[in-house]
Amino acid sequence: MTSFILKRLASGIAVLLTVSALTFFLLYFSSGNIARNIVGDQASPEQVAAKEVELGLDQPLIFRYFSWLGSAVQGDLGTSWFTSEPVTQALSSRVPVTMVMVFTAMLIIAIVAALIGVAAAVRRGWIDRLVQVAAVVGDAIPGFVIGILLVTLFAIQLGFFPATSTISPGAGATAWLISLTLPVAALVLNGVTGGAQQIRSAVIKQLERDYVRTLRSRGISESEILFKHVLRSAAPAGLTVLSLQLIGMLGGVVIIESIFALPGLGPLAVLSTTQGDLPVVMGVVIYTVVVVIVVNLVVDLLNGWLNPKVRVS
Amino acid sequence: MTLRKPALAMAAIASLALAGCASNTPSSTGGGDGGQGQAQTLTLGILGEPRSWDPSQAHVGHVLQPYQVAYDSLLLREPDGALSPMLATEWEYNEDNTVLTLDLRTDVTFSDGAKFDAEAAKANFDHFREANGPQMNQLRAVDSVAAVDEDTVELTLSAPDPSLEFYLSQAAGLMGSPAALGTESITTEPVGSGPYVMDKASSVPGSQLVFTAREDYWNKDLQKFSSVTLKTLADITARTNALVSGQVDATILDPKAGKQAEGSGMILESNQVDWTGLLLMDRGGEVVEPLADVRVRQAINYAFDRQTILDQVRLGRGSVTSQMFGPDSGAWVEDLEDRYTYDPEKAKELLAEAGYSSGVTIEVPALPAEEPTLLAVLKQQLSDVGITLNVGAPTTTTFTSDVAAKKYPVIQYNLFQGEPWVAINQLISTQALYNPFKTTTPELQALIDDVQTGGTEAAEKAQAVNEYVTENAWFAPLFRIDQMYYHSPKISVTPQVQQAVPSIYNYAPAK
Repeated sequence: MTSFILKRLASGIAVLLTVSALTFFLLYFSSGNIARNIVGDQASPEQVAAKEVELGLDQPLIFRYFSWLGSAVQGDLGTSWFTSEPVTQALSSRVPVTMVMVFTAMLIIAIVAALIGVAAAVRRGWIDRLVQVAAVVGDAIPGFVIGILLVTLFAIQLGFFPATSTISPGAGATAWLISLTLPVAALVLNGVTGGAQQIRSAVIKQLERDYVRTLRSRGISESEILFKHVLRSAAPAGLTVLSLQLIGMLGGVVIIESIFALPGLGPLAVLSTTQGDLPVVMGVVIYTVVVVIVVNLVVDLLNGWLNPKVRVS
Repeated sequence: MTLRKPALAMAAIASLALAGCASNTPSSTGGGDGGQGQAQTLTLGILGEPRSWDPSQAHVGHVLQPYQVAYDSLLLREPDGALSPMLATEWEYNEDNTVLTLDLRTDVTFSDGAKFDAEAAKANFDHFREANGPQMNQLRAVDSVAAVDEDTVELTLSAPDPSLEFYLSQAAGLMGSPAALGTESITTEPVGSGPYVMDKASSVPGSQLVFTAREDYWNKDLQKFSSVTLKTLADITARTNALVSGQVDATILDPKAGKQAEGSGMILESNQVDWTGLLLMDRGGEVVEPLADVRVRQAINYAFDRQTILDQVRLGRGSVTSQMFGPDSGAWVEDLEDRYTYDPEKAKELLAEAGYSSGVTIEVPALPAEEPTLLAVLKQQLSDVGITLNVGAPTTTTFTSDVAAKKYPVIQYNLFQGEPWVAINQLISTQALYNPFKTTTPELQALIDDVQTGGTEAAEKAQAVNEYVTENAWFAPLFRIDQMYYHSPKISVTPQVQQAVPSIYNYAPAK
């Protein structure tokens, strides 16, 4: 197990390095003249050149990447070119908002999707048909549309929740709770239907396997078969689906955060990318890649724990 | 971009839904009418925060407002554009407009306790001229700055600058504490003499900035609220929702989102700041040869049915025009307003006369921030007279540098209708970014020189420049855009001339 974790960590670091280098170089080619954008459209060429020197843009690209990497390894991600805020500070105030939202949504999706998915697989009938229809509908309606519907109904018309975030420094749990309810609901509604559908298929596949028939022929009760054997075997597939959903959610959350004006990573990612704010984009990318790597590692570990066969291979 | 259209559709649905319950929405504001205390807070939805709180990095237009919360300027610009005393009580030019002498207040301190005086003003001017900020050109004409005595500062110019007094009410006039200028900490926390000070503990950069009223502020008339919160709401859906639900008191919307706000009792303050249209920049024909012929440029102007375009693109919110100077500028000429009317036959004739009856092809870049339907409509109307408009790939971060590098012969853009000398230096003179091919004529240069040395008559003299560029079809202006600034009945707001977002002094609790 230790060597498995070490191997995964090593490959994670390799991925991190590759992605950071790729992002850095791609941004260089797509970001145009950042210095000109900062000093404004009426600046003289001398002003632009002075700003380039100030930002180190006159240095060779390779040198700039390694100097960024050198600082990043020591925990210094630089300062935003467009807000003067240290990148680590910008991330540390925003990461909790996104994390709380994504992981709460994920937890709810996992529980509800598992319940509905298993019920549909075992009972079949109308629940099953409903899950299948809902999966198609849920897939077709983007999360932000649900978000706008929710905010129109529950925030503007009924006034139960604030239309945009009330999270500020030192805000109590209540502010977090009321600010995150609608965004989390938008993410959950969008994720549950697809998740339930996938879990349903995984459970049905197990139920059709020979070992289930063997167990049944031995007179073992249906509930024992389901909870002791089928779910354990179906879990890896379900976990993988959920982990993919979580990673996909990191994209969907960007729009949800914009609609609800949540001070999370999403708006920061969008703004810094459109402005070409390289230090911030790099910070967001590094953070996101780390989350993806950790989620994958945790899923692999859980799978190994649930299913010994994975561990051996 | 994928978000935008569905979002608008949803906003439309939402506004229909709201129309049904509009009666209960404003009730939350009704209670405030009885007891207007001085303890009222002001919450504004803004599009983005300052890049740095160092006053040398301040910007103009709607980006000036946040600085006004924390900084006083030397001169105060009234809502109608007139200049009033602020930190400077009096100011005067010498005879040939090359030395500007300012008398300063002596009873003002900065939030860090430092005193405002001529030395402090000089420190600010010197810092502004060195710090390479986005508006550094505002002091381009200033040669040297001298603190004559404690309350007198003197600016010596290398050449007259008719905009200098205006600039002293803008970025160049913002005064920060000399001890804090250029330090690391002032980039994230302003140190000014202004009506409000930042409450850093309650602020999250990028989300909301909280300011509280300064107790010993020298001019209580300008300090109308107990606190001011600036909430960053880049997304228009979020801005609309925040306004309609009472989370912000005022914000800027567009005509479509504005319908929803009006449906729930919000009040519109509309004024015109930008014009939109085509900038026919390649007047020498370097890239698109036909553009060198004034008849081709005029044909482009005759090809547009401006009113229809305005109705289609902005629900009629604006005024059609053929000139690029605004009515508030002094350079505006009434007769030029409809110099080019919709006349496709005339356009075809002019093209034939110029020898281009077989057609002309022009490339323009698409700007994602602009209304996407606008270019489509222009393309269609130009094709009716035999001009092909090819809309290129969207550009974002490279736009300004590409313009400077002469990459585009023609662009469609929204441009500020500011003070004449500002507009000339932005769009017409050979130094202007939006004149990258540096076209000029001795005749035009003489008119520009007249404006520069015109002193108090500079704006009027700019009318001749206006007539020249309109007659020679340097541009194809379409319409002036109505800015849609909405606020709740809890506060009163006076629009500011030439600004999409009012100055901070223009807000007050409703009476």
